[in-house]
Amino acid sequence: MIEVDQLAKRFGPVTAVDGLSFAVRPGHVTGFLGPNGAGKTTTMRIILGLDAPTSGTAFVGGRRYQDIIRPLREAGSLLDANAVHGGRTAWWHLLSIAQSNGIGRRRVTELLELTGLDAVAGRRIKGFSLGMKQRLGIAAALLGDPPVLIFDEPANGLDAEGVHWIRQLFKSLAAEGRTVFVSSHLMSEMALTADHLIIVGRGKLLADTSTDRFTKASARGDVLVRSPQAGELAALAAARGAAVTAQDDGGLAVTGLDGPAIAGLAAAHDIAVHELVPRHASLEQAYLDLTGDSTDYRAGKPAGQGTAG
Amino acid sequence: MTAPQIRAARTAIPSLTARARDVLAFEWTKLHSVRSTYWSLLIAAVFAIGYSAIAALVYATTPRPKAAAGAPINPLSVSFAGLLYAVLAVGVLGVLSFSSEYATGLIRTTFTAVPRRLAVLAAKAAIAGTASLIAGELLSFGSFFLAQAILSGHHRGISLSHHGVPGAVLAAGFLLFVCAMAGLGLGAIIRHTASAVAALFGLIYVPAILYISLPSPWNARIGRFTLTIAGTQVVALHPHKGLFSPALSMLVIITWTAATLLAAALLITRRDT
Repeated sequence: MIEVDQLAKRFGPVTAVDGLSFAVRPGHVTGFLGPNGAGKTTTMRIILGLDAPTSGTAFVGGRRYQDIIRPLREAGSLLDANAVHGGRTAWWHLLSIAQSNGIGRRRVTELLELTGLDAVAGRRIKGFSLGMKQRLGIAAALLGDPPVLIFDEPANGLDAEGVHWIRQLFKSLAAEGRTVFVSSHLMSEMALTADHLIIVGRGKLLADTSTDRFTKASARGDVLVRSPQAGELAALAAARGAAVTAQDDGGLAVTGLDGPAIAGLAAAHDIAVHELVPRHASLEQAYLDLTGDSTDYRAGKPAGQGTAG
Repeated sequence: MTAPQIRAARTAIPSLTARARDVLAFEWTKLHSVRSTYWSLLIAAVFAIGYSAIAALVYATTPRPKAAAGAPINPLSVSFAGLLYAVLAVGVLGVLSFSSEYATGLIRTTFTAVPRRLAVLAAKAAIAGTASLIAGELLSFGSFFLAQAILSGHHRGISLSHHGVPGAVLAAGFLLFVCAMAGLGLGAIIRHTASAVAALFGLIYVPAILYISLPSPWNARIGRFTLTIAGTQVVALHPHKGLFSPALSMLVIITWTAATLLAAALLITRRDT
């Protein structure tokens, strides 16, 4: 369980996080979505006690993270897979982190196997691909077998196989009853991974909803109709309260009536229909519509420093 | 994936000693698992032993030599000739302890693993301190015995049993520890390796340059408050009359070190990472 209440963080004149409140519940993969610069990383750093909030609170398991003794057993995290010493081997890197929280060597070996890094455990990290570093960071996050997991853009730099692996891992971690909090700037990725979404823009909460509900709410769309008697059909549909727009190619875009209703209407008036296609606005489009306002500033004024992600 | 032994351990609150042992193991593993540690120590050894040996050879074969600053060179100071350069290498070891973590971002992993940042500082100081103290004493005694072995062939050596010599050799080794601690503090304060090393270089060598270039007695009046000149006083066979006594000079050295570490403690607990 992660609870964030009225959280704010200002860096000089830049407000990175602006009164955020939300809760991340166990048993779910919760996606933390927002454009770059929305304050996701800053929020995660505050949750982990790395940055001090200007105001507000963030609790992990009911306590401030920095008050937890041996915190890696309570919350595992991966903020930046590149934040490793390249000269150290994977084994020593993981072992040192394990030792810091009184975790044994056997657990290090287990995680090297789980993440498929056992064969390269003795190699220096500087030779690792970004995908391998992501796996190493995930291994480090899981060392303490924690009930809470926090990942910042974990899919970045992974190949298709890696993305699939990480998606399954998050789902299985949530199925075990853990709290899994994953940030991303890609709706498409989160739609497949997360069952709950917290969407932010410019440090403010835009939506806190289940992925299902967000998908349904955003599934507004229209129906494309082609008919040799388009004008007649358009008039009939409009009389039934539908909004009809003629397309350049002669088709009609109808909103307010669904496919079966249009087909019924056409049949009742002996109008031939050549094409009838229900069209849904994509989830990606709904997300862009929601966060659109909050990214506008990027075109004009320069974005704030140090608040990426 | 659930490890039962970890689940069970979560409920028990570990003792303070167990937690201290965890953090010390964390820092020790990080120190010994990177090559830079061995490079700094190797460079320190080459400077300390190598330069002292050369200085001893020159001293042994030169009648009545004088140092540039006018202070008479004696068989003891010859033994320490290389240590003035070895301190920088050991100091870099201290700098890297923090600055390498800031440079890579690993410091965030460290502070999420151990959110008590003062515990991290204390553990780093204990580990780098122990390593540099052992290295310092080994190099100090090593340089002394090597230099004396060379000098005794020319009947110009000094014995370890000579009055004041054991204390001076011990103090010389201690100075390497002091520089490692100053480096550690500067690394935490400045966070960039190159800038912190430059600051350490200034801290160590600027006083020596001032001491040589300022007119007497001002060079001693000012110099006695600096880390370096106080350092020369604690390793001297015949302490300089214009400087603080060796005991007071040791206090100056400890104050500099403590002040650096204190500033580091204040900054790392207040700054975002």
